[in-house]
Amino acid sequence: MLKKLTQFYYPKTVEDACSQLANAKEKTSVIAGGTSEALRNDSTIEALVDLSKIKELSFIKSDSSSISIGAATPVQDIYKSDLSGVSGELLKTAAGKIGSTLLRNAITAGGNLVALFPWSDLPAAYMVLDAEVVCRKGKPKRTVPVINLINSKPASFLTKGEIVAEIKVPVFKKGTGASFAKMSKTSNDYSLITVASRITIAGGKIEEARLAVNAITAQPVRCEEAEKLLVGKKPDAELLAEAAKKAVAGLKVRKDYRATEEYRKEVCEVMIRRSLEESIAKAGK
Amino acid sequence: MKLNVKINGKKFDLEVNPNAMLIDVLRDAGFKSVKNGCSEGSCGACAVMIDGRPKNSCIILAGQVQNSEILTAEGLGNPETPHILQRSFVDHGSTQCGYCNPGSLISVKALLDKNPKPTEADVKDALDGNLCRCTGYVKRIEAVLDAAKIIQKGTKGKK
Repeated sequence: MLKKLTQFYYPKTVEDACSQLANAKEKTSVIAGGTSEALRNDSTIEALVDLSKIKELSFIKSDSSSISIGAATPVQDIYKSDLSGVSGELLKTAAGKIGSTLLRNAITAGGNLVALFPWSDLPAAYMVLDAEVVCRKGKPKRTVPVINLINSKPASFLTKGEIVAEIKVPVFKKGTGASFAKMSKTSNDYSLITVASRITIAGGKIEEARLAVNAITAQPVRCEEAEKLLVGKKPDAELLAEAAKKAVAGLKVRKDYRATEEYRKEVCEVMIRRSLEESIAKAGK
Repeated sequence: MKLNVKINGKKFDLEVNPNAMLIDVLRDAGFKSVKNGCSEGSCGACAVMIDGRPKNSCIILAGQVQNSEILTAEGLGNPETPHILQRSFVDHGSTQCGYCNPGSLISVKALLDKNPKPTEADVKDALDGNLCRCTGYVKRIEAVLDAAKIIQKGTKGKK
């Protein structure tokens, strides 16, 4: 419960929201979909700036080089969008695996990233798609790789009065395939393991590899050792098995009462291998 | 704080605690169809339509629906003049204890508003956040598909 909450602000534009946050005298936080904020126990927050009604933060756009998604876009809109291509399909798949229709109507593209819970599904997909995040502080903006935001934790990465406004994902060339998978006790439950991968194949060899996991770890991580192992090699069963083994060996597994560490590691290795297989199969199409 | 909302087409000017959940505000205002099941967004018994989107009212702060339009099951129909969906739920036996019905009805109303000719997969997808422990997930799907057909045919009844 937000015990001390007394005030809501409803800015109409990003600039209004940022100046509200920058000039706040009371302890102020942002809210969009509100699913995590509503369940949060915090007795310091006195005011909330509601981003959910800012129209310029809710959109899905795509052209031949990239897809842009407004930070306050409900993930249900991504799931039901007509986005296509490797990036579009991956975003749709990942968004569709979040909770339920009722939750997806609230949870937003930016909130799922900024709240950065272990069970958030989109961050791993953003990571393998080399997404960039547009952060705005009123008019001024900076565009940063999503991995920078994740690795330095959004709360400390963003400065006072700055918000995540947009997520940009590049469109990939032919010969690229991507895959997203999630394991949870039920489809509505928190993820136990989230795996995303993207592979580009050129001349029969892996030219570029991205692999990221979440939920089994405390925050989304790229499995860079495994990526390095894959690049430049011919994708065969042995290589993928070795990469999966290497990826799991490098993980710092989070405690979860739902399943033991041993079990989740074993499942994760299989999921990673299958994810790579799927990405490679799609890359060949 | 003051909360201005439209609930089932009627304007309300409510005095609410800033940290109150929407479900509690709605129930206090007399909309008892909104049920509290899990209080954490898992079961869907509390689902209401907010500006055309079905959401869990148990994990949304009331302050977030300022100037919004809300639809609860009371806004669909009543025992004398039920909505076609409500009628169909009864006819197909997709109600037993009834606790999940108001939320489920809101989810499928939102579906039919957007997609008047849903497939079985569409219905399952729309109801993926509404748990029902009595009727077993088959009858309600039949009920929605049947209601959609009736609405398509334009049979007399409230839309």
